[in-house]
Amino acid sequence: MLPAIEPGDWLVVNPRVASWPRPGTVVVFREPISDALAIKRVSAGPGERVRFADGYLTLAADEAWLVADASEAATGAAGFGAPIDSARFGPVSLDRLVGRVLFRYGPLRRFGRIMSRRGATE
Amino acid sequence: MFPIRIVRQFLAPTTTVRAHCDLPCGVYDPEQARIEAESCYRIVEKYAANEDVAYRTRAIAIKEERAELVKHHLDVLWHDYFKPEHLEKVPNLHDLFWQANKQVSKVKASTDLADARKLLELIDDVDAAWKATGGLEKTRVNGRPS
Repeated sequence: MLPAIEPGDWLVVNPRVASWPRPGTVVVFREPISDALAIKRVSAGPGERVRFADGYLTLAADEAWLVADASEAATGAAGFGAPIDSARFGPVSLDRLVGRVLFRYGPLRRFGRIMSRRGATE
Repeated sequence: MFPIRIVRQFLAPTTTVRAHCDLPCGVYDPEQARIEAESCYRIVEKYAANEDVAYRTRAIAIKEERAELVKHHLDVLWHDYFKPEHLEKVPNLHDLFWQANKQVSKVKASTDLADARKLLELIDDVDAAWKATGGLEKTRVNGRPS
């Protein structure tokens, strides 16, 4: 999730969420494939249309489309493969949402809010 | 005065979340799928040649297992090796993988040798696509004795 979030950042997450926060928000969720705790940005919320496999996909009332900030080219240049996000595992249902990332409290020099960003990787 | 280490320990998060990417080894070869599919083919042959119920039950179970591996290897090729730019060279790529995976399901449910043979042919088509996109040169480690 560079540059918004770096490995080792300490984050405060609000687990009291009843619906998908608006697109651009960074969230923690349980990954559909592995069930591991993961962090990504909401790219589209319930009912919205997303581009998928040469066409469009309409998200259901409880689904969101979660994407990494980095492009495949950027992660490739860093020696990794494609980011594992909705392009891989598809829409994520609300029951997998764990919380919304509010701010970073460590390291202190990077203390601050995690800003919402719209349309970064579409 | 609290030592900084204790403050740090107190404040440090207890849960880790990941924003991970793939770390692909970059080695892909349809041969992996082909070998498992050949196992299915041979198992069907052996199944037909043996009347023993216990043997036949084992054969079916092992065929299911091998077929699942064929699916796995095909999926890895499809998702990880092939890239959108390869569609120019192999326009029917998605259809090919769809057909091949469908055929695996058929082989799972069938004891007809023709179904297993058809799967081998489809994997050979995948192999041709892999070679047409430079897979042989790009993905295998050189230096094996010939």
